[in-house]
Amino acid sequence: MSKRTQRKSMGYIKKDYIRTRTMPGSWYLSSYRFKFNITHFKPFQDKLKERKLVGLQCSSCNRVFFPPRLICGKCFVKPDRWVDLRETGRVATFTITYLKDLETGEVSERPVVLVQQDGSDTTYTAQLSPDVDYKDTYIGMPVKVHWAEEPTGGLMDIQFYDLVEDNSKDLELRKD
Amino acid sequence: MGRQVCIASAGFSEHASKRSDVNMPELVSEAIEDCLKKVPSVSVNDIDAFVNGNMPAFEGSNIPELWMTDWMGARNKPLMRITTGGTTGGSVAIGGYYTVTAELPGIDTVLAIAFEQQSQGDTSTGLASVAYGEISVLNTLGISYEQLTQLLSAGAAIGVASYQATNYMRRSKITEEDLARVVVQNRHNAANTWWAHLKMPDLTIADVLETPYISYPLRYGMVCPASDGACAMLFTTEEKAKDLCDIPVYVNGVGSVANESGVLGYNGSGAGQLDTSEQLGAMKSAELAFGQAGISFPRKEIDYAEVYSPFPNQELMWIERLGLFEENTASEMYETGVTALNGELPINCSGGVNSTNAIGASAMERPAVAALQIMGKASNQVPKTVHTAIGHGWGGIINLITMMVMSNKPTRKIK
Ligand SMILES: [Zn+2]
Repeated sequence: MSKRTQRKSMGYIKKDYIRTRTMPGSWYLSSYRFKFNITHFKPFQDKLKERKLVGLQCSSCNRVFFPPRLICGKCFVKPDRWVDLRETGRVATFTITYLKDLETGEVSERPVVLVQQDGSDTTYTAQLSPDVDYKDTYIGMPVKVHWAEEPTGGLMDIQFYDLVEDNSKDLELRKD
Repeated sequence: MGRQVCIASAGFSEHASKRSDVNMPELVSEAIEDCLKKVPSVSVNDIDAFVNGNMPAFEGSNIPELWMTDWMGARNKPLMRITTGGTTGGSVAIGGYYTVTAELPGIDTVLAIAFEQQSQGDTSTGLASVAYGEISVLNTLGISYEQLTQLLSAGAAIGVASYQATNYMRRSKITEEDLARVVVQNRHNAANTWWAHLKMPDLTIADVLETPYISYPLRYGMVCPASDGACAMLFTTEEKAKDLCDIPVYVNGVGSVANESGVLGYNGSGAGQLDTSEQLGAMKSAELAFGQAGISFPRKEIDYAEVYSPFPNQELMWIERLGLFEENTASEMYETGVTALNGELPINCSGGVNSTNAIGASAMERPAVAALQIMGKASNQVPKTVHTAIGHGWGGIINLITMMVMSNKPTRKIK
């Protein structure tokens, strides 16, 4: 094919079909079988049932993963040391979602946060207590686990995080 | 090791929210035509190999590269598809560079093509399919789907980006007005770019701040559109490029680095990026690419930058992390006009991803625009002479970065 014919034919494609037809169709992700290894999760879930928090520590870089992770990508090592964690944590970052009630049309603001559990080196998505106003959320906010009534050994055993009252003023008083 | 590689040309299709007048192959052929128009002595027959890519699952059509073989002129020629999510375009461009630098017999000229026709499929299904694995795991571990959608605030990039925006705003102490200023500059630039999508020459900061929140701190007026469009880049050897065009653009360094994911960990575990605006991956890929290109002082040596920023906070963050500005000074640069078209270091004069986002193509449009700025052929050409420019791409769960450093001189350190 000469250079001229090639050029011409590319233009031809567009000129001849002024409007390309649209054919509607549907495409679903109907079923899905995702595989993942859960061995490292078992002790974590057992502890959750007892209302206790544990993280998995990498013996090479000492990072603590909460919830646990099967492999530390930094060291290419399998974390194998379980460490106890406190119930407190801090808001690492947050955003506010605006959910519309389908019936009333009312928009409700909800803060959703990433919490770094004290003693761990990771964050995880969580919710704040419904009592916390979305306007009061900030990065570094001290929070504490609010346990579900009957822990079942799932991540939802941490129902949400309660705000920890800032007691630094009390501390200063005590110093006096 | 490896020969010098030049960009001889780059081209775009027109971008819009619905290009229903064309199908995917036709959209791609538009970009190829625009690319080859700039180098009249090259025809499709002179191209030795093709690299092609788009975001998978967004259009509901697999193997599009085979469907469009004839439209690209790739029949009976080496053809490779690369797809890496948001950075697809950047990876395709790097793929084009690697193919030429590899010195394979008979392969000198390579056409790299990246595209996306989002209107054809369901973008939210596409995005959901990206996170579906993680969501299934969290669901198995006891978090309900309802809760999950809320946690990830509608899943997808916007959710991840708003966490990052909060982090960045706190770190650099900027306001929403600073974010809006970035958007205004981008949309004004887009108005002068023929192929751009959201052209708003009269947009003001107040207009942006009037739009409602999509998820705090990002407003509807601040986020990128979903576009249909394609981009093509022509990579060739130094010798051939000198014949083809007046100013061949040398690719002096590339980088593609994946950092630990942010917001979502793997298989339900905690996420390792404590501050998602820290971006060690971006720093590392910049270090790699600048190292290859022999650039020690990016702030002084780079004349033009195209960064991948669907959201304004990311634009500020990237230009700091890539070493173009000191930390926490980026928003000041927008205020004083340093980053404007006629500024000292213009950023995203095509309007950026903030104005045009055909996902698979976006990360290639960055180096493509940067190369055209060096050639002096860009649609919204900066008045000053551009010697060295960068094109950056971002994707994944805020963790994959691609970089390409280009110049009108060969400065590559690896020989
Ligand atoms: Zn480690």
